[in-house]
Amino acid sequence: MIYRNLRFALNSAWQSFWRNLAVSMAAVLSITLILILAGINLLVGHAFSQVLDGFRAKVSEISINVADGTPLQSVYDFQQQLSTDPRVSGVRFITKDEALVQFKADPNNLVLAQQIEGNPLDAKLEVRVTRLDDVAAIDTLARRWPGVDPTNPTNYQGDFVNRMLELSSWLGVAGVGLLAILVVVSIVIVMNTIRTAVYHRRKEIEVMKLVGATEWFVRGPFVIEGVMTGLIAAAFALALLVIAYEPAVDRFRSDVAFIPLSYDPAFVASLARDLLVGGALLGALGSYIGVRRYVRL
Amino acid sequence: MRYTARDLATRALRRGPSQQETHLMVLTPDFDTRPVISFQHVWKTYPTGTEALRDVNLVVPEGDFVFLVGPSGAGKSTLVRLLIREEKPTKGKIFVDGIELGRMKRRQLPKYRRKVGLVFQDFKLLPNLTVYENVAFALRVHGEAEHTIHSRAAEALDTVGLAGKENSLPANLSGGEQQRVAIARALVHAPRFIIADEPTGNLDPATAWEIMQLFLRINARGATVVMATHNREIVDLLRRRVVAIDAGQVARDDRSGRYHDDLSKSQIRAQ
Repeated sequence: MIYRNLRFALNSAWQSFWRNLAVSMAAVLSITLILILAGINLLVGHAFSQVLDGFRAKVSEISINVADGTPLQSVYDFQQQLSTDPRVSGVRFITKDEALVQFKADPNNLVLAQQIEGNPLDAKLEVRVTRLDDVAAIDTLARRWPGVDPTNPTNYQGDFVNRMLELSSWLGVAGVGLLAILVVVSIVIVMNTIRTAVYHRRKEIEVMKLVGATEWFVRGPFVIEGVMTGLIAAAFALALLVIAYEPAVDRFRSDVAFIPLSYDPAFVASLARDLLVGGALLGALGSYIGVRRYVRL
Repeated sequence: MRYTARDLATRALRRGPSQQETHLMVLTPDFDTRPVISFQHVWKTYPTGTEALRDVNLVVPEGDFVFLVGPSGAGKSTLVRLLIREEKPTKGKIFVDGIELGRMKRRQLPKYRRKVGLVFQDFKLLPNLTVYENVAFALRVHGEAEHTIHSRAAEALDTVGLAGKENSLPANLSGGEQQRVAIARALVHAPRFIIADEPTGNLDPATAWEIMQLFLRINARGATVVMATHNREIVDLLRRRVVAIDAGQVARDDRSGRYHDDLSKSQIRAQ
């Protein structure tokens, strides 16, 4: 019986979608626009989180400059101490010579490298910290170490890291907030669109109820139709976003070169999943609420 | 020749009554059987303050055929709406087949409505569905298997004389034919009660009479019929039970009645 009812609901949802094509397309359009906005929000959020991850990786690495003349044993001991610290994920010792090679290898230092005589660079300990929040503590630890270069102890920029942390948390909150607003607005729009569709069919619903249909028997086709509408809208939104994604990233990169935004084809799969699930849920929820007033026995 | 409803139901089970029989038989319900419909001090006041029914008491035994008559606004339609549980009584109790409608939970309502066949003045057919689909629809909501739906819908359409019109849309049928489809839909799940609200209201006299023949046949097969009507000719011709409603009260309840009682007729004549 459940199978028969489901088949009936699927059939009538399909027929009703095509029979009331104008209203169906209005609903599809509303959901498509909302999902495009949601998709842009997800894509921008993802792109910025990639950029932030890049920055995070950079600032969560701290260089401790070793004063000239520090005994090697003392450096190794400190390196050992740092390696066993749970907040640290890796420590690498760079000798003065290696530091010079690295400096010269950087094309930005080309002119400066030619003018250098001898090796004015410090040896350093490059420390990768697991959590960005712990970089300050590692910096304090390094500054207390007797072997540190007192004139230029570390490359830690406290303010910058704090601002990054703040920005990243604000971006997260803003993204979630925007998504929440979009979800609420879209449910209201979808609900009203579907309520219009339901209003046209109130006579049919009345007859269904009079011949003994249960609430779910009446509601089922509408909810399935909502899911169908949501999935079609999600497919449209996804197609448009996929087409526009790469050119938009290219354009952004050429206009705002200092933000290293990148195209991530792997994200398209998760975007597709999110939009399809979001569209289906939106359609189902909109229909459920939209039809409730007429379905109640 | 007089039969009780029980006699008729037994006969109908053995063989369908002939056309001649349904013309001749005057149904006398078996008042000893338990009442299937019972109104006990029922009041209905709408939120606007209109008192549609006032202290209505009514008992309908199984197999009865009851005409509800009275002027427009007397409360007939409210009574019908209470019977199909579109409304709840403000005071009093309504029992149908042992169930108190006022206390019925919402989830029990579909099951109750499946016991009832409903026929309306405006037919209430689904315009996008064919004749067959409209009748089949009443079985679909019950979750019946497709082969059962097919055979029972065909049988119901045959009963109302619409075999061959299965694929027509309601818009292509006459008023009488549309009402036949509505009756077939009401019959298809073999309900124990038929509740009809002005079923001949939109039909010409000849068609109305044909439709009444159908109701008589349904009643002869054992179903209880409660019909609100303004059709004086039919009520007077059939001489069935007549319950007259006036100003929300039962003004008259005759076992073999007429549209107007003798007193009101004499008053009409005097005017």
